[in-house]
Amino acid sequence: MYPVDVGPQYEGERIRKGEFQVEFGGPSVSHKGELATVRGLDEVEHDKITVTGPDIKDLPEGYSGSFFIKLDVAGEALEKDMEAVLERRIHQYINYIEGVFHMAQRSDVWIRIHKNSFKNGLNSLEHVGRILIDLYTAELPVIEKMSLEFATDPARVQELLGGAMKVYKERDERMKGLREEDVEEFYGCVLCQSFAPTHVCVITPERVGLCGAVSWYDGRAATKVDPEGAQFAIPKGNLVDEEGIGYDNVNEVVAERTMGESTRFSLHSALSYPHTSCGCFEAIVFYIPEVDGFGIVSRDFVGSTVVGNPFSTLAGMASGGKQNEGYLGVGVQYLSSPKFLIGDGGYSRVAWMPSTLKELVQESVSEGLLDKIATEKDVQNVDELTEFMQNAGRL
Amino acid sequence: MASETMVMPYYKFNVLTGTKAAKVIADPAEGAAIIDRAKNPLYIFGPEVIANPVGACLLIDYALKIAKSRDMPICATAHVKKKMLELGVKPDCTYDIIEIIHFLKDKNWSGVRGKGYHDLVLFAGVRCDLAERGLATLKHFAPHLKTFAVCRRSHPNADFAVPVIVKGDKWREYLEGLIEALGVKA
Amino acid sequence: MSKGKMREEEIRRIIRADDEWEPVGPTPMPSLIDLRNWDFRLLDTYEPFYAPFCDLCCLCTYGKCDLTGNKRGACGIDIASQQARWILMCVLMGTAAHGAHGRHMVDHLIEKLGADTKIDLGSQINVEAPIIRTVMGLKPETLGDLRKAIEYVEQEMIHLVSATHMGQEGSYRDFESKAFHAAMLDHVALETADIAQIVGFGFPTSVADTPLVDLGWGAVDSTKPTIVVVGHNAVTANAIVDYLRQHDLYDKVEVAGICCTALDVTRYDSGAKVIGPLSRQRFFLKAGLADVIVTDEQCVLTDIPQMAKDTGAALIACSDKICYGLENASARPAVDILRAVLEEQKQFLILDPERAAEVIVQAALALAPMRRDKKQLVTAAEGAALAAKCRGTCEECNRVCPNLLPVSVAVNQAREGNFAKLGEVFLRCLGCGKCEEACGHQIPILRLMQVAATRDTYKMRAGRGPIHDVEIRKVGSPIVLGTIPGVILFAGCSNFPGDIDEVAWLAEELARRKYIVNLSGCAAMAAAMSKDADGKTIFEKYIPEFDAGCIVNLGSCVANSHVVGAAIKIANIFATLPNRANYELMADYILNRVGACAVVWGPYSQKALAIGTGAVRWGIPVVLGPHASKYRRLFMSKKEASDWTVVDGRTKQRVDTKEPTPEHMMVVTETKERALVTIIKQCFRRNDTPPGRAIKLNSYISAYKQVMGSLPDDLQNFIRTEKEIPIVYKREVLAYLKEVGWQPKPVLSLPTIIGTYETEVPIEATIK
Repeated sequence: MYPVDVGPQYEGERIRKGEFQVEFGGPSVSHKGELATVRGLDEVEHDKITVTGPDIKDLPEGYSGSFFIKLDVAGEALEKDMEAVLERRIHQYINYIEGVFHMAQRSDVWIRIHKNSFKNGLNSLEHVGRILIDLYTAELPVIEKMSLEFATDPARVQELLGGAMKVYKERDERMKGLREEDVEEFYGCVLCQSFAPTHVCVITPERVGLCGAVSWYDGRAATKVDPEGAQFAIPKGNLVDEEGIGYDNVNEVVAERTMGESTRFSLHSALSYPHTSCGCFEAIVFYIPEVDGFGIVSRDFVGSTVVGNPFSTLAGMASGGKQNEGYLGVGVQYLSSPKFLIGDGGYSRVAWMPSTLKELVQESVSEGLLDKIATEKDVQNVDELTEFMQNAGRL
Repeated sequence: MASETMVMPYYKFNVLTGTKAAKVIADPAEGAAIIDRAKNPLYIFGPEVIANPVGACLLIDYALKIAKSRDMPICATAHVKKKMLELGVKPDCTYDIIEIIHFLKDKNWSGVRGKGYHDLVLFAGVRCDLAERGLATLKHFAPHLKTFAVCRRSHPNADFAVPVIVKGDKWREYLEGLIEALGVKA
Repeated sequence: MSKGKMREEEIRRIIRADDEWEPVGPTPMPSLIDLRNWDFRLLDTYEPFYAPFCDLCCLCTYGKCDLTGNKRGACGIDIASQQARWILMCVLMGTAAHGAHGRHMVDHLIEKLGADTKIDLGSQINVEAPIIRTVMGLKPETLGDLRKAIEYVEQEMIHLVSATHMGQEGSYRDFESKAFHAAMLDHVALETADIAQIVGFGFPTSVADTPLVDLGWGAVDSTKPTIVVVGHNAVTANAIVDYLRQHDLYDKVEVAGICCTALDVTRYDSGAKVIGPLSRQRFFLKAGLADVIVTDEQCVLTDIPQMAKDTGAALIACSDKICYGLENASARPAVDILRAVLEEQKQFLILDPERAAEVIVQAALALAPMRRDKKQLVTAAEGAALAAKCRGTCEECNRVCPNLLPVSVAVNQAREGNFAKLGEVFLRCLGCGKCEEACGHQIPILRLMQVAATRDTYKMRAGRGPIHDVEIRKVGSPIVLGTIPGVILFAGCSNFPGDIDEVAWLAEELARRKYIVNLSGCAAMAAAMSKDADGKTIFEKYIPEFDAGCIVNLGSCVANSHVVGAAIKIANIFATLPNRANYELMADYILNRVGACAVVWGPYSQKALAIGTGAVRWGIPVVLGPHASKYRRLFMSKKEASDWTVVDGRTKQRVDTKEPTPEHMMVVTETKERALVTIIKQCFRRNDTPPGRAIKLNSYISAYKQVMGSLPDDLQNFIRTEKEIPIVYKREVLAYLKEVGWQPKPVLSLPTIIGTYETEVPIEATIK
């Protein structure tokens, strides 16, 4: 069917410097990008694959140069909002191709094609296009038409990239600006219920799923594309808890989906009716009573946190689909949310976090406060933390 | 030629410890008659049919002719199917060796083609030690059927067994004799 | 027997029931019939399949009794029950082997270190003994607690052995239930033994990146005084290493091991050499490279004294399980023993490991200079001369070869100086020596193989012991979400049907499809004996973490407990279900929700049978190589024709899932190709999420196409909704499903078989 094998087992393949036939984009190339655009049904010619500029077989072995993937789709059920979700699949599907890797996204993309795959017949971007169209349309029947352009001609790449940069910026503005107040529905996810039967994630524009894999946009796209799947819409109803942020209809859905184990979620509090966790969370927010504040730790942090317990022990307290006051499993992206822990005071209550996490969220924390949050480099235990906070004037 | 009871198969570890042993079918014509009498025979192919040469051909070439002579359903165990597809023949069933024996024990099983239980089961190309175990299972737990081990190493636990044939060309002659007696050109 | 009040109180005391780490579940320290309903529930779906090895029963003086047809023995036993009785006896032998090893290990270490020695498996492991916790309800904190575990095993075994006596159990189903019980005890013994030796000998723990050690008979530097230890009990081997270190002889003496002793001594000292698995034992010992042969216990050839004599090597036996009729010199001064060894060529039994170590090392040092000529390997010219009398016509060697090898062709060609065929035979040789025994010309075939056998050295990862709690947390989610299609354990012996590197092939086919691949025992050693084009073994190529696409060496046979332990930990740590004295709940969880499969490609021993039978009771299906048909029993469903009704834990209603998962609990496959697709299929679970099922189906379809040349013939059994069709194959699968008239099936997130049989476990417990 295809010159090389295709399947999820090829995700994560590494292709070293001497091993690639061609390299598109990547850190040594200045112009690269990819863009998915939803267009009208009459604007897209289905199955059209164009290569603008030299193709793989026309390029010398070891070539490295500029590149752009232009993906256009059309379908009755498709919406503009889905573009980012569709675009991310370029990464996933290209990695399905044996001997091809794809890294990053947007204007950072990096693709390498292994010499062996080239030898086996993967000598044209048309093959890649064929595989992509087949995978996209197999998974998403809502795509009625799809076309692809692969640009390797530097002038054309620059032209497409220019347009794309504007679109990326617009998307970011829209996403940043989108608040829970602006939308009528949130999305629920119950994928983990076979491990945590009484857990449900409520995903809002300001609260990503705690595994980190499902954003509000992902939930929206999934619900449209797969109405009987693990994700579903939750019309939010009325705001009934202004502090921790809770909605009446959300609470009703929570009660139903957790078989009554939880009946009320404060979406942005770790102390009052906290959101439950399964066990897949990327990070844990935990209460430190001695300083009446919170610590945050991520899964990759090695060793003991400031309270003496490592991630694994804290995870035991946070998980299991129960409301554990003082413990909250979260996705890392939530740490940069404008509503992060707003019910408990947000970053003004955060006392400790690993230095790597702190660097990640520095733009979400006011400058004056940032230095007053301790890391593993500053303190080793709660006594030292107390002293640190006293010196910082926070206690 | 009078058939005798199997005593010592080629592989001595397959020697029978028991009182009920196979009848040795030294004359392929008698073998053909046994097959002919069967109402619903089944042929089980093991992986050695595609690995073992017989003369210039493979064992499967002969086994396919035998099966074809009476339109016998074929159960291709292990990974035999791949080679069969290359030869243009689709097996009726791809249950693995233990699975097909498990089903054969049940007289109420509708058989490979849904026509009811199989009264004669032929075997070729199953590894001899494993084959002997499978034949023991059927001997004890499937009284409603008979087994015919079409294998030159001979099998005491079968109902009917080929004698021990050491020489390759004698084996080819036996198979050709069987095919001819069944009525398909070798 | 139902437990009286006093016994119940005694159990509560033994397990410290008042310790509040979890509430005590319904079956603390279960006895023979406490889990019988669970066993029968398994047997209802997975019927025992018997392949009698012998038509007779010869157990008592009323025999021999013919059991063909409808005949029964004098005691009334029928063929099925006789097979099941035999299974129980063999499983008990396996349990006893591991249990006695555990008892010996625990007693020895308590003598040395004290019963209060704390169990600490490092910072990455909090749940130190998931099997003991689940089966007994005890959280073992000290070596003294481990002794309780062994006492429990020993206490139950006496009842089980009793049931094998003539005129005892009469039902094959109950024999199987008792065999399950014996096998469960075997797992308790395995875990006890491995924890004890990790704690007592400082084996690696909480470390994934254990050193790479040398493997292969070519790795042994026989220019040095060479000590070869054979068996499974590392007490003596470790004592030898200690002696060498203490006397500054470490670099001057070569210590090598065959079988699990090798795996365990390399966890103690990564400089020791692993000669190989059991199948290389006779070959290596006949080669005369060992100056001193040391035997401990299990899987040790019973004619080693003669082999030692033939090669002029010394022999010291070190276990009360294998005394060889030798004089027990344990109380004699080492100097005395040594003199008798060197001057009178006497062989001894020495049960004191330190004394034995002294004698062994000193004997090696003394003998090595005298044995240089005995270490010369057979040359091609010598080999051709040895084979001179063979004409390749009598074929007696072929007829007795249990692996059906063309030995006569190989020896006949060797006569002409061509050793290529003999090299191929060597790769499949099990080392039984029957060929040379049968040879009318007394050709020493195993020695002849020295010319043909590759002297390559391979790299194998040293055994790492338990899986870390953090690793469990990391993989829990991907297993649910489907990125990890399954957890595989390659265990067991080296009675392989084909080339010795088939395990490596299977391991790599699965690792590259992102399964978590674990190996232990002889399987781990055999898997190292294959190099790719770059000269690397799978242990060098793959990361040694418990994660997708990685390959782990757990250690020796007793380390098999850690994969069962990992499955329990997924339920206990990740899904937070209580495991204390909660066998059925854990097994139900594993059966329905943890995609694990054990593979024993070359099983021969009663120990392997015990381990495999125990896995089945836990809900872990087992795939076996063809020699396993000679165990006489398997557990098979009738595929889609069986009843696959379960309870939906969410609604508490019975639901017919209509899908055979897992399909069989114990099955034999003939070829590695068929084994690959069978293993993949055995990792499907009822609670697979649609994305997870899609990943698993992707592997199934791709492997099936690779080895069988088509879409899977039973694909329709495993697709519940169209969503889970892997997108790469979507179009052709949809066309196929239409052709066969496929109908959607229910998808459950909380399937359980609790509630489909009589049990004390409430359905609510499965949801917590």
